[in-house]
Amino acid sequence: MVRWISDEAGEEEALLQALGIASADELFQDVPKKARLGRLGLGAAKEEAEVVAEVDRLLERNRPLGRFANFLGGRIACPYSPAAVDAIVSRSEFYSAYTPYQPEASQGMLRALFEFQSLWVELSGVDVANASLYDGASAAGEALLFCRRLHEGHRFLVPASLPWEERSVLENYASGPGLKVEAIPFDPRTGLLDLGFVKAALAQQDVFGLLADVPNGFGLLDEQLFELKALLGEVPYVVAADPLSLSVLEPPGAYGADVVVGEGQGFGIPPSFGGPLLGLFACRREHVRQAPGRIVGATVDAYGRPAFTLTLQTREQHIRRSKATSNICTNESLMALAFVVYASVVGPKGLASLQSSLAEKARTLASALGAIEGLRAPRFDAPYLGEFTLELGRGTAAGFLDRLRRRRILAGHPLADPRVGAPSGPERLLVAPSPSVGEKEIARYAAAAKAWAAAPGGR
Amino acid sequence: MTYRQARWDEPPIWDLAHAHAPEPAPAIPGVPERFRRREALRWPELSEPTVVRHYTRLSQMNFGIDSGVYPLGSCTMKYNPKLSELLARRPGAAQVHPYQPESTVQGSLEIAWRLERLLARITGFHEVSLQPAAGAHGEYTSLLMVKAHYRELGELERRTEVLLPDTAHGTNPASASMAGFVTREIPSKDGCVDLAALKAALSERTACFMLTNPNTAGLFESEILEISEAVHAAGAMLYYDGANLNAILGVTNPGRMGFDIAHLNLHKTFATPHGGGGPGAGVIGAGELLAPYLPVPRIAKRGRKFHLDYDRPKSIGKVKTAYGNFGLDLRAYAFILAHGEEGLRHVSRRAVLNSNYLAARLGRRLPRPFRPLVKHEFVLSGAPLRERGVRTLDLAKRLLDEGVHAPTVYFPTLVEEALMLELPETESKRELDAFAEAVGRALDDSPEHLKAAPTSCSVGRIDEVRAAREPVLSWKDLRTGASVKVETP
Repeated sequence: MVRWISDEAGEEEALLQALGIASADELFQDVPKKARLGRLGLGAAKEEAEVVAEVDRLLERNRPLGRFANFLGGRIACPYSPAAVDAIVSRSEFYSAYTPYQPEASQGMLRALFEFQSLWVELSGVDVANASLYDGASAAGEALLFCRRLHEGHRFLVPASLPWEERSVLENYASGPGLKVEAIPFDPRTGLLDLGFVKAALAQQDVFGLLADVPNGFGLLDEQLFELKALLGEVPYVVAADPLSLSVLEPPGAYGADVVVGEGQGFGIPPSFGGPLLGLFACRREHVRQAPGRIVGATVDAYGRPAFTLTLQTREQHIRRSKATSNICTNESLMALAFVVYASVVGPKGLASLQSSLAEKARTLASALGAIEGLRAPRFDAPYLGEFTLELGRGTAAGFLDRLRRRRILAGHPLADPRVGAPSGPERLLVAPSPSVGEKEIARYAAAAKAWAAAPGGR
Repeated sequence: MTYRQARWDEPPIWDLAHAHAPEPAPAIPGVPERFRRREALRWPELSEPTVVRHYTRLSQMNFGIDSGVYPLGSCTMKYNPKLSELLARRPGAAQVHPYQPESTVQGSLEIAWRLERLLARITGFHEVSLQPAAGAHGEYTSLLMVKAHYRELGELERRTEVLLPDTAHGTNPASASMAGFVTREIPSKDGCVDLAALKAALSERTACFMLTNPNTAGLFESEILEISEAVHAAGAMLYYDGANLNAILGVTNPGRMGFDIAHLNLHKTFATPHGGGGPGAGVIGAGELLAPYLPVPRIAKRGRKFHLDYDRPKSIGKVKTAYGNFGLDLRAYAFILAHGEEGLRHVSRRAVLNSNYLAARLGRRLPRPFRPLVKHEFVLSGAPLRERGVRTLDLAKRLLDEGVHAPTVYFPTLVEEALMLELPETESKRELDAFAEAVGRALDDSPEHLKAAPTSCSVGRIDEVRAAREPVLSWKDLRTGASVKVETP
């Protein structure tokens, strides 16, 4: 029998006796016979050692990032996380706790979440952060619904360059109340927003919000973000920002963002094949009653000592039910803890220097690739930070990635939506040097790309 | 039990280092000057030992399942196996990016594929998707699938209502309303769905009836087959909220009970740690009718190879970046392997045995509103406390002084001064008895002590009213004294 089910000597017998029954099966007499199950074919129990062996055998079929020169990025990053971060996240007082519904017994997590909220306020430059959402994409979805609560209209504008996954998630958040997500075209040369389109759309008075991202889906920094607030006026302005970039870039609150969302996984959370991730959300103080998700506030205890608690809960599903600002209950508290521990261990200077170094690596690789005939890198004529778009003059992204994988290089990821099939034009990849790559790996990438460009069909 | 939680006078992290003069962030070649951060990030520069000591002290002021029993009803706070923590941290699990070529992530794909199949058997569904990040996320995803189905049938215009019992978790009506439905509550009779009232409410406007079984009063809805028949006769879908699945493993399942779609909370039944509020994993299962609408990608097997299949023309698309919370999926997979079929049956038998035992013991001290036979959780009423001028809340706070967590309070709302308790299969009889004695001591304590509780936690009773009236929500608020009053709607 599994060790995790309590089995202290004779206790089950004693429990049955106390209830005056012979078997626990008697406790299921209220389940109709016609709804009862036979065998499910789930197999026999395994000893702990057997479970380890089985899982390890399966994991053996993965080739973890450490075996490659890694240039994968986008919304999910591959940071090095100091061992101290996992040491804190591994403390079971944190990881094995439930939501802090009894604040007096849960000050540790509440304080950590208050520190997390404070950090996202500092990074984003807006007033109030919540205690996390599921991931960056669903945080953008919540931001869309939030904007609709602030402003009338049916159309929500997003860059056409937004990663397809995020666009799809946004469309699903919009589809509930019957709203529409509309793409703002980009300038084919620069990859930046077509502001003419934004102006024309706004003139029709049916836009309830706009989301822009920094860096954008092509890895670009669009200076027009500084002009959007003036164009939008009362229409809410959402910026989806990479938190690491905000260690060196102006906070979106400073250029008029009403909401700042982001994917926080890059701060101390391993990629784990895509989850758990961390949704970041912050808004202006005057809109806090419309915010989704849990919020921790500072207060005092009965003795006047500083204390923390979940607050403004009348927005939430367990109180407001169908009138709640969101259905979210479980969030990503433990990941929020990892985020604030990571930033505190690395420190503001460390974050800025990491971002500078990634930007330098990206520039080095982009110029090496740009010199290769048949490749365009960076594809767009606009500033970028730690990632850039590579365009293949011929051949397919899949072929390029496969060839470089054979050279133990994870060369990037295709930008096209896999549901649509291969795009008609040249194929594009987002390339993001990870912190673990150095000059040697960059040179290997360039050499392998050159060989591919010379013979895209070969192996 | 005498209990004292650690009480550190630990300053907030920003007070652990001297603030330095604001200076611009470093300039980065190629980045426009306008984009350069004018004032570097305001956060302390600390040594690693200082940070580790700070968060270790905070952890000591936090109560987890390893600290003591956690009888939160509907939350299924069971022991989180250490084995799962070990496995989720293997480089082969943690250091894998979802955008790696499929040939390099065959292990993750196979684990996810196997887990989906195991969960399909456990729930009796045709297909399972691991994509949603938490239970409520799974609810929303499922309701979008229901919508897609009715859109295809051309019935979406008229099927505008979602029905739910008055005992439903708050996420149910919130998800339904987010998905664009109007919600209607069906009153309960003796703690269960009033079948006649349900039948009267069902119509061609009904899209879906959302139900938890066993329900939040801890009662099994014995008329489930009749409920299913009535819902389907109206052409509507039956939705299963899997929050209480821990009571029925191997006994019955949503597929067998006639449900069309469901979400499961892996952090409840399958023991993945709840992380102080998250992460979760909100797996969804669907019968044949709704399976084509599941989010993409689906994990498919071709020969011996696994791949992500995006060729699902009816799919609603994506609800989250990448595919599911794999770190939690792996933990749940290990949990199922370790238990096997018999072990999982034993989980529910023991959880229900614990619950009935404790319900019988505590039922001698506080009224139990419904029939005596319960499943994995049960409800008590703290209404008699009022005679002594105290409330359920005071009892809950007093229990914290006993070195246990408090039960869920004031839910379900149909019970006056409700306490909702669940002590799953990982709790021993010794713990159950100790908990019952703790409740007894708390009940016997003076009203003054009850109102003054807790006294053994790192802080005393918290002023929640002040927190909401004068919200101070960040360091910036503390620094700038920005506790601007926020209008109550």
